[in-house]
Amino acid sequence: MSEWTLDYPPFFAWFEKLLAQFAVLVDPKIVQVDNLGYDTLATIYFQRTTVIVSELVLFWALQRMLTVMGNRPLQKIISWSLMLNPGLLMVDNMHFQYNGLLYGILIHSLVDAKQGRLLRSGILFAILLNFKHIYLYIALPYFAFLLRAYCFENSGNSIRAFRPLHFLALGFSVIAIFAASLGPFVVMNQLPQLASRLFPFKRGLCHSYWAANFWALYSFMDRVMIILVSKTGLGQYFNLTLDASALSATTRGLVGDTAFGILPTVTAQHTLLLTALLQVPSLISVFRQPTFDRFIGSLVLAAFSSFLAGWHVHEKAILLCTVTMSVMIAEKIGANPGNNGAGSNSNGSGVPGNAKTSDLLSPRDVRSFLIVSLAGYIGLWPLFFTREETPIKILITVIWFVIVGSGLVQCIPKSLLSTTAKAGPRASIFNVRSMFRCFTSLECLYVFGCIPVQLYSNVIHEALFGLERLEFLPLMITSVYSAVGVVYGWLLYSSEYFSSQRAQDKKKTR
Amino acid sequence: MAGPSLRAKGSSKSKNTSNSSSSTSSTSWTKGNEASWASSTTSTTTFATTIHEHGGNVEASGTKKSSTTTTTVSSSKLSLAVHRYSIWLEENQLKRYAPWIAIAIAVLVRCTISLGPYSGLGVPPRFGDYEAQRHWMELTLHRPVRQWYSDKSKWWDLDYPPLTAYVSWICGYVTNREKSTLSGNLINPEWYAWETSRGYESQEAKLYMRATVLVCDLVVYLSGVIVFVKRWFDNKPWTRQHTALILILLQPGLILIDHGHFQYNSVMLGFVLWAVACFLNDQDVLGSIFFCLALGFKQMALYFSPAVFSYLLGKSLRQGFFGCIWKLIKLGIAVILTLGLLFSPWLQSQEEILQVINRIFPVFRGLYQDKVANVWCAVNVVVKIRDIFDTKDLLKFSTLATLLAFLPSCLHLLVKPTKRGLIYSMINASLSFFLLSFQVHEKSILIPALPVTLLILDEPAAASLFNTMATFSMFPLLRQEALELPYFVLIGFWIWMTWGTFKTASGLMQFAATLNLLVTVSIHLAELLVPPPARYPDIYPVLNSLWNAAGFGLYWIFFNYRQFTLVNTPKMGLRVTKPSKLE
Repeated sequence: MSEWTLDYPPFFAWFEKLLAQFAVLVDPKIVQVDNLGYDTLATIYFQRTTVIVSELVLFWALQRMLTVMGNRPLQKIISWSLMLNPGLLMVDNMHFQYNGLLYGILIHSLVDAKQGRLLRSGILFAILLNFKHIYLYIALPYFAFLLRAYCFENSGNSIRAFRPLHFLALGFSVIAIFAASLGPFVVMNQLPQLASRLFPFKRGLCHSYWAANFWALYSFMDRVMIILVSKTGLGQYFNLTLDASALSATTRGLVGDTAFGILPTVTAQHTLLLTALLQVPSLISVFRQPTFDRFIGSLVLAAFSSFLAGWHVHEKAILLCTVTMSVMIAEKIGANPGNNGAGSNSNGSGVPGNAKTSDLLSPRDVRSFLIVSLAGYIGLWPLFFTREETPIKILITVIWFVIVGSGLVQCIPKSLLSTTAKAGPRASIFNVRSMFRCFTSLECLYVFGCIPVQLYSNVIHEALFGLERLEFLPLMITSVYSAVGVVYGWLLYSSEYFSSQRAQDKKKTR
Repeated sequence: MAGPSLRAKGSSKSKNTSNSSSSTSSTSWTKGNEASWASSTTSTTTFATTIHEHGGNVEASGTKKSSTTTTTVSSSKLSLAVHRYSIWLEENQLKRYAPWIAIAIAVLVRCTISLGPYSGLGVPPRFGDYEAQRHWMELTLHRPVRQWYSDKSKWWDLDYPPLTAYVSWICGYVTNREKSTLSGNLINPEWYAWETSRGYESQEAKLYMRATVLVCDLVVYLSGVIVFVKRWFDNKPWTRQHTALILILLQPGLILIDHGHFQYNSVMLGFVLWAVACFLNDQDVLGSIFFCLALGFKQMALYFSPAVFSYLLGKSLRQGFFGCIWKLIKLGIAVILTLGLLFSPWLQSQEEILQVINRIFPVFRGLYQDKVANVWCAVNVVVKIRDIFDTKDLLKFSTLATLLAFLPSCLHLLVKPTKRGLIYSMINASLSFFLLSFQVHEKSILIPALPVTLLILDEPAAASLFNTMATFSMFPLLRQEALELPYFVLIGFWIWMTWGTFKTASGLMQFAATLNLLVTVSIHLAELLVPPPARYPDIYPVLNSLWNAAGFGLYWIFFNYRQFTLVNTPKMGLRVTKPSKLE
């Protein structure tokens, strides 16, 4: 049995099989199963080329997105920001994965949904699920949206609006896809084996480097409490006991079970329940009114909830949040009729009277997107640990942040921006800089705080302690700091999502 | 507090119709498609009146009026992605960040390229340029100054002028400190230990060496580019200045050689840039000091010296008798003092200084190295001149040919010492050296490539094609060092970035660019797919050098023609030629 088990669903396996056909042409040794750790230059070039070629799917998807959502220059920023996304660049082209292809399919599906071709959208998503099951995380909003928007009449709320034909068509096509993918394995009776590969619940709560989510904060709290209890003897006042096994540092940071010293242990069931619970409110809102707006918003929230509360989440999963958020922002820019793309100069009049304020790109959207992206991408940095890569990962992220950030700030309709900008110096001490004028000072503090934190974990820590001692500390600092940003961004976006829902509902009732 | 005022400034600017750059471009955004770019670019004809030459030249003040009315700009259209990006930056009031973003992108590209292999990686016994540079750090660190050029260790002799040696000494000295906690893991004195470190290779050492190149590049070259762009493109709109900045910083050849192959060319070229920037500001003494520093770093800066010399002499001659004498004295003192200081450790005896000079000009190495895209190498395909003539005769002959080749351009500059003429003449002189002088290496094409790239807005098509060819001409070298991937990425990126320059160029230029692209691609494809015939194992490098030699020869004619027609106006205003002729 090989060390790197194939833990992707069948379609991805077929895709790899397709690549193997070409690989034989380049160098037959690539495809030998016992040939692990094989890396000649030709192999690397070949594999990297396949990644780049497969990303054309993403490129194509973004082209479609531009035409469908209105080809405004500022939307170009968003699509460029997706194409040259530091997360994707780092994960695909430095780390090595085929996410560009998969997110390309996802965006194709979303564009179809936007165009109203719901059946195609659903089929694409089913295919996507069979490429990589990480997208199960956002399956629930898809399910809710398609069920409500495709299988029911637009206006009706009752059961009479049900459209059985549509339901059957959707159901059959999805089942057909799953059958094509999983069928052979069912016949061969390998389904349990497949399931155990795909859902490795034995792997522990946190991934090697803690992904920047709830559990990173939870583990961090646990570590802090262990130190407090063992050093100060505070434990006896609160009747806390240390779990001795957790103190052996070996399990920390490796793929395996995460043991907690003081806080209660979290099981896979807990995380599943929490993930589902966090998704419920947005699902209800989609079900009540299945607009594309709400759908994409609930996708973002679903991605967040699974990233924040999921079991054995990898840092890379943050891409799911940032990619869906980018589509959400592109959609909102497209919905903004006053914004003709020339920046805040030309649309000084603000929002035309008939446009719904709640549909427009709000500062909160932009703020949460930027902060989540920054925190998430910085959370990816530990994946690239050699010194040669350090300047590259930093520069990619910083360039992306400055260009996309300042571009997006220009996108915000002036009338919406003014609520924060009017408060001026009071709201933000960094108000001078055009780019940071939509941030509050706390957020600016967070953004600039990244500099000393990363300086410490990349340079100072090593100089102080060397490579061997306390090696986990910089990683922990990075992931905790990122987790704070991601959680904050999530809260900010949730509040934006639900408050705009309420505004829409109010308008309706009136 | 400044927030509102900043926005107010921005909006008032867009209302201000006289500021055509921001108002026209913001309307173009509203259409948001390619057609609108045409409208914005046609509106740039209004820029044309604002684009005239630098006012500070010798006699321009009197002729300024006539020159501004008659000037039309050869590069009135610019349909480049980089230019669109610059317009976008301006509209979004990002001018403040723009240089930093440009620098960050430049550093990013350099860092990425430096991940690749270097010259002589894992090739004992002699390794390559990387080992040479490393050895010089070792040599300068452990030997007394006066033995630097007379060391007999039979390992890479120091054959660059003293400033290179001093920089090497600094780089070595930094690592040789006592192992402190702060630097313990980053730098290691073992890398430069005397004799034991020969051929030392490790990831950390490579990273340190790469970092020294990057720092030198940033300190000397990048700063030079920024200053030059500010002064040379002074009258152009900001967006164009920024376009030029980005393009000059992303010139592929220099990045590949310095950060891939491993050399410090950017230091020498950076000093030359600083010198030119000073000449543009009429700070001739300071400029000549910088030029001497360039000479003191790499003797190859001599390629420019005929042009610089005739410019300074020509300028002095126009200052009346006493003015001329005084100016020449000032310049002479500056040059002698700078060079004297640089060479001072070896000035104590004639032998020593001769030894230094012998090392710096190693005539015994032959007419040219490997395959160079110059005249001698091309002639050699037909006639084996190296077998027919003695090396000494060849030296004399090639020197004479070089002299003849740069003479017309330099004489022209001497009579009409204008700033624009200086840059054209620098191109012509350095191309003459590259094509005809003795002991030329293929990397030397970077020297003419510098002034050519500086004309990226004045001769956009010519400059971008020249850089493509220059990069292509170094492919055989880069291929030996397994730098194909960085090469293809950078040259592809460059062609993509600059392809728009040909859209507005003359038909001839378009034809040349297309032909060059076809030939380049087909030579690459042939090399990839067809193994060279046994009789001609070097067929592909030879084809490459023949093609490029022809191209550079044509360029020599082209730039000479441009220089002579450039300043060919009644009162020597620095105006561009009539647009109908070449555009």
